[in-house]
Amino acid sequence: MIGRTRHVYDAALVGALIASALLFLVPQFFFIRQSLLPNVAPGVVGDTISLDNYREIVADPFYWSVFGRTIGLSAASVAMGLLLAFPTAYLLARMAAPIVRWLIVLLLISSFVSVVVKVLGLSLLLGTDGPVVRTLGALSFGFWNVRLLHNDVGVAIGLVQYTLPLMVMILFGVIQNVPPSLEDAAAVHGASDWRTFRRVLLPLLWPGTLAAALIAFNMNMGAFTSAVLLGGGRVLTVPIMIQRKIVLETDYPNAAALALLLTLTVVAVNLAALKARPAAIAGTRAG
Amino acid sequence: MSSVSLERLSKRYRDTDVVRDVDLDIAEGELVVLLGPSGCGKTTTLRMIAGLVQPSSGHVRIGGERVDPLPPRARNIGMVFQDYALFPNMPVRENIAFGLQERRVARERIEARVAEMLALTRMQPFADRYPAELSGGQQQRVALARALAYEPRVLLMDEPLGALDQRLREDMQREVARIQKSLGITTVFVTHDQQEAMVLADRIVVMNAGRIEQLGTPEELYANPRSLFIADFVGRSNRLHGEVRELADGIVRVGLRNGLTIRARSTTAMTVGNAVVCTIRPEKLRIADATDNAIPVTMRRRSFMGASVDLTVEAEGGGEMLVRLPATTAHVPIPGERLVLAFDAVDCLCFSETPG
Repeated sequence: MIGRTRHVYDAALVGALIASALLFLVPQFFFIRQSLLPNVAPGVVGDTISLDNYREIVADPFYWSVFGRTIGLSAASVAMGLLLAFPTAYLLARMAAPIVRWLIVLLLISSFVSVVVKVLGLSLLLGTDGPVVRTLGALSFGFWNVRLLHNDVGVAIGLVQYTLPLMVMILFGVIQNVPPSLEDAAAVHGASDWRTFRRVLLPLLWPGTLAAALIAFNMNMGAFTSAVLLGGGRVLTVPIMIQRKIVLETDYPNAAALALLLTLTVVAVNLAALKARPAAIAGTRAG
Repeated sequence: MSSVSLERLSKRYRDTDVVRDVDLDIAEGELVVLLGPSGCGKTTTLRMIAGLVQPSSGHVRIGGERVDPLPPRARNIGMVFQDYALFPNMPVRENIAFGLQERRVARERIEARVAEMLALTRMQPFADRYPAELSGGQQQRVALARALAYEPRVLLMDEPLGALDQRLREDMQREVARIQKSLGITTVFVTHDQQEAMVLADRIVVMNAGRIEQLGTPEELYANPRSLFIADFVGRSNRLHGEVRELADGIVRVGLRNGLTIRARSTTAMTVGNAVVCTIRPEKLRIADATDNAIPVTMRRRSFMGASVDLTVEAEGGGEMLVRLPATTAHVPIPGERLVLAFDAVDCLCFSETPG
């Protein structure tokens, strides 16, 4: 009797696993296959398999520049995000007040708000008539007419806003796992705040911080809404280019090839970062 | 090695006084235990000596020098934490070397000193292990070695043995005492365990509600507790509630609630009619055929403790009492047996029921 329920239970688990795998793999198969087919006319896909789409992309410096810009914007936004998220998460994690729990809940709820809504708020704030630009202009007596929308800066700010709540939440958990008594011990045994950070906190927080940074980077690489709305059509990233290939040129095979190259780039960056990890930790250990 | 002085040291958080006007002089080489229930301010006092908590008022002196403005790293003290706080990213050897490295001591000197500390704490075989690979007792030794490596002026220990099981705890108490005496380092040790305080302390400081309740050698505190709190907290005591009937030459005649009258030693000023609590140590009670200063009881349970036999008895008119007899006692009463417990008036301490 028990053996029988056990089988039913296992079958349910395995069934779900197979269904998940199919949902993931089947579309991937058609998507990869499409990237290998020729685009004979707009919206018409041929049936000879070749690497021509990839050859075309790799040979064109224009694509390289778009990939470069996407990676650059994503990395810069991660760096800016870390500079904001790390101190915030540290303060929250070390605050022994019940309000912290509510702040985290608030952060979690805010991350469920649609990106479109958040970007709208941001574009009102950063627009030419917005308070930020006006204040900067007034403070510099009209000499500093900075533009924060429809350029790389606007997109970078949008990406930071997009990933910040998640980064803070991940780092909050990471920092909470390091007991404050370790910092006390370092201080009592003779380390300055900087040395405590360098020798104790950094080596312990580094793996979790890297994870947070990679997750944010991956989100940035695939970000479409923030990039397209804040870039205002002037900033071209890989996701925007893919969207154009599909909507404007109806070149599905080329779009599929670009998407696969984007995925491979992200995977490569992640693997490289994870491989660099042990060396970086060993470096901090020597003090 | 240095003396430590606390002068009217206080800490307030919002409206709560965590530590109030603590005055304490600790001699060079002395081991003083701060003892008290949780929340009595003992750990906060220790952390103020370390510089991890800023006092609201008052001063800390180490070796005569006022250290209040100094950050922890400039005070040259060693500290062992309740959770050991070993750096998980460093092997034992490097944990011990930490304080020396931060003081920019020469490499050869560090190596020599780390070897010495490994020997002192008997941790040589584990020098290259990481903290996660060590048992609680071993981590404790490493924490002690790390705190002593740079020859600090003072050693602070914050409930360092709390997480260990009873047997290991006793071993480590002997170990701490041995190392402290061999180095002659001034030590402040915080615990809530009175047994531990008795084993380790040259002097015990009993704290309650942010104040020093009493200060003295373990013998003094045990024999002459100044308050009911101390009598209860240091060692075990039986309590007898009653009312003052008569006072003469420091001896009080007390009418107990169950109608008996006993004689006890008065400790504080009291007058006839005051409600009082009399305390008597379990080992000061004896089974006797007496009528003077005697309490009839009924035997309930016995527990053999190795060195003694503990009897739980019930006094007439209610209330359990504990009697401690030597293990060599020939006749141990059986449950249900009626006995008479007698004691000397000087061994029974009488306190006013209302504190102060």
